Amino acid sequence: MSMLAEPVAASASLAAMPALLSLRGLSKRFGTLQALDDVSLDIAPAEIHALLGENGAGKSTLCNLVFGVYQPDAGTMSFDGAPYGPAGPAQALAQGIAMVHQHFSLVGDMTVVENLMLGQVSGVLRRNDYARSVDALSEEYGLALDPRARIADLSVGERQRVEIVKCLMRNPRLVVLDEPTAVLLPAEIEGLLAVCERVAAKGCSVVLVTHKLAEIRKVAHRATVLRGGRVVAHSTAPAREMVQLVRAMIQRDLDGLAAGAGAMLGAAAVASPVGVAHRPDTPETPSPASDEALQVDGLSVVDAEGTRRLENFTLIVNRGEIVGVAGVEGNGQAELAAALSGMVSAREGRFFVRGRDMSGATPKALSAAGVGVVPEDRHAVGCITGMSLAENLSLNRLDRFKRFGLLDRAALRRAALALMERFDVRAAGPDVAFGSLSGGNQQKAVLGREISTEGLVFLLAAQPTRGLDVGAVEAVYGQIRAACRDGAGVLLISSELDELIDVADRIIVLYRGRVMGHCPAEPGQRERIGAMMAGQAA
Amino acid sequence: MNAVAALDLRFLQRPAVWVSVAAVFVAVLFGMVLVVATGASVPKALAAFADGAWGSPYAVAASINRTLALALVGIGFVIAQRANLTNVGGEGQIAVGGIAATAVSLYGGAASLPLPLSFLWPMLAAVLAGGLWGAIAGVLKARVGTNEVISTLLLSFVAVWMVYGAVQSESLLRQPMTNTATLPESQEIPDATKLPLLSADADTPLNAGLPIALLLAAVVAVALDRTVWGLRLRAIGLNPVAARRAGLRIAPTIVLVLFLAGALGGLAGAFMLQGDQGSLKARFSSGYGFDGLVVGLLARGSIAGVVAAALLFGFLRSGGISMEMQAGVPSALVLVIQGVIILLLAGAAFWIDRHKEAER
Repeated sequence: MSMLAEPVAASASLAAMPALLSLRGLSKRFGTLQALDDVSLDIAPAEIHALLGENGAGKSTLCNLVFGVYQPDAGTMSFDGAPYGPAGPAQALAQGIAMVHQHFSLVGDMTVVENLMLGQVSGVLRRNDYARSVDALSEEYGLALDPRARIADLSVGERQRVEIVKCLMRNPRLVVLDEPTAVLLPAEIEGLLAVCERVAAKGCSVVLVTHKLAEIRKVAHRATVLRGGRVVAHSTAPAREMVQLVRAMIQRDLDGLAAGAGAMLGAAAVASPVGVAHRPDTPETPSPASDEALQVDGLSVVDAEGTRRLENFTLIVNRGEIVGVAGVEGNGQAELAAALSGMVSAREGRFFVRGRDMSGATPKALSAAGVGVVPEDRHAVGCITGMSLAENLSLNRLDRFKRFGLLDRAALRRAALALMERFDVRAAGPDVAFGSLSGGNQQKAVLGREISTEGLVFLLAAQPTRGLDVGAVEAVYGQIRAACRDGAGVLLISSELDELIDVADRIIVLYRGRVMGHCPAEPGQRERIGAMMAGQAA
Repeated sequence: MNAVAALDLRFLQRPAVWVSVAAVFVAVLFGMVLVVATGASVPKALAAFADGAWGSPYAVAASINRTLALALVGIGFVIAQRANLTNVGGEGQIAVGGIAATAVSLYGGAASLPLPLSFLWPMLAAVLAGGLWGAIAGVLKARVGTNEVISTLLLSFVAVWMVYGAVQSESLLRQPMTNTATLPESQEIPDATKLPLLSADADTPLNAGLPIALLLAAVVAVALDRTVWGLRLRAIGLNPVAARRAGLRIAPTIVLVLFLAGALGGLAGAFMLQGDQGSLKARFSSGYGFDGLVVGLLARGSIAGVVAAALLFGFLRSGGISMEMQAGVPSALVLVIQGVIILLLAGAAFWIDRHKEAER
């Protein structure tokens, strides 16, 4: 990447400049939730400003106010010295504020240039002329992009570039990038940051919204931290004040945190304070005497289009052991999880739970065999949001609540209360709608249900901490470790490398559906794992 | 009806109930406007309507008999709806039920059986026939993912034409042709196979269908709301993927649910045949299946709602027929009123959802 010589020096003068975008006392309330509370913030021209905060800190709400999706309850905004109050995204765009959302809005079957022309041109389509201007822009910002490629054929990083080009085509004066690094490989992150620097060098301000400070610290001139809807810290030298900023984000000292929580912030990847985390007393290498919870033998999964998603996957997970599966998302993890939870059947290969062949077994049979599954997509697979908490907590064992042929609601409630207590699921009561619980409590409930599967032998946890705040993350880790101590074998699939290093005993790396390699879960292996994640055999 | 309504009066607290009531009210007002437009007198039309719907014990009983068939189809619709399946095949299920009941009554030896087997045996045949007819759509859905809305609807057309075919051929169910005026319909079924009347008094044709339907309504209401099975149906309806992950068996449930919905349709057919019709005619099902579907839709998932909507439609039908005969107002007016009710309710549901979203 290109290096801006000294971002810190540049930032000192930023405060003195007249702000491009100035927010004063913004507040926004949703029902009983004060999403933003008296937020003031200045974005200087040509500045790269990091907007930091955990999930639910108010970052998205702030972006949506600036982009005109919502209107503030109180406070004022000014842009380029004039009062600014967009009634909708169209007005924000017209004024020169563009946003790259976390979820892309691209049409998969159309080419890059066609996607860029959507809504921008009318009348006769002059693809070639437009493609030339896209080329010129790509060249200018170092965004390698083939305008004639089909979106469906592009990687996630490339699609993000298309979204960025879409913004830049409008010659914006301020670009907001929402969680831009979440979907990228380490090398792609470097590329993205280089683009941000070029954009800023051309005079356009960039706001990077993230909860992973470490990844963007190299380019951020200034940083603002939101917590609970308020501005709690501000830094003109974020690279030097990493620890303080992280502390401000989570209100806990980084040193006191388990590394897993640090990993959520991406801090463990760079900051030295986080060393090897305390690992519960599971053996480093499982003793030969311990028996096998799961044995996978040459499993291959082919998707509906006939693409091989998982290729000859072989693995043994012992009881009392946590095996981590690392890899950039979309490299076969979802298919592995689906096959092991009985949701899809494997094309080839078999797998055994405590020696019993469970290949092709139904989810019901797997549950009966002591397999617990925390699915990656909590809402689509893990729970039924339209049903009550109590019903969800016993969803896979409803037969226990029959009395004289009728549903024994009292027993269902008692069982729910017991699980809520044991797994610290906080809700007004067992009868509340599951959908009304916070993400963390939903996940604790799903985890609780699966861990309390009768005779738990093997627990499959796919991205169990995604979208959770630090407290919930710790609770989830604690429960997974406890299940492991109680003798279950655990397969932990995660895209957070630091989470795996902290929680797992050993790690396997998936790349394009194949196992790239194994290694012990130690911080020293980070480089090696990173290389394997990017497809380099180690 | 009190027995069923008493099951759960809380439904009166739901805004949806009042939205339905308002929709009916507006639709009836609209119907009055149309009466004026046709040049008939509103008081006369209303009087004819009231006379036909509830003007005499006979009228009330006839309306209730109409209600029964509609309610059975509606109950079947609600069961399927709980599993997020939409059974629009009531018409065909009634038709195959009618065919089976006719065949068994006339040629299945039902008449020689002792009471109550003599009328229960054709009824059972109708239940099985309707159930299997519904289960075809269930198997298609479970096996190859065919949309049950399409399959049940198309199967209805097949079944309705099967009735036509059956009553056209003497080798099937047509009565022996004695002269050129012999109608294409089946023989009258033996008296022993008809539903026994509840009272000896012939003024009220209330028959044994009423207690059977009430019992079924109560059983289904309990099964849906107070059993593990009902909870499972709801889970599968709300999120089949999560339900499958939790070990619920989706495919067999889909087949079973459409079997049950079809079986209730078949039973409705048996009630119509063994109740007031007495013989299988070409236009046997005459729209009861589609009206029953609307009853199910209006009920918004509750069995008590089915009972209320079926009563409304049963009395509307009786009144409409009388209105045509006595006041010269086309009975299609009733269809218009039904249509307006449906439009209003669909619009209200849409508006309520939007309103809820805006609140959030």
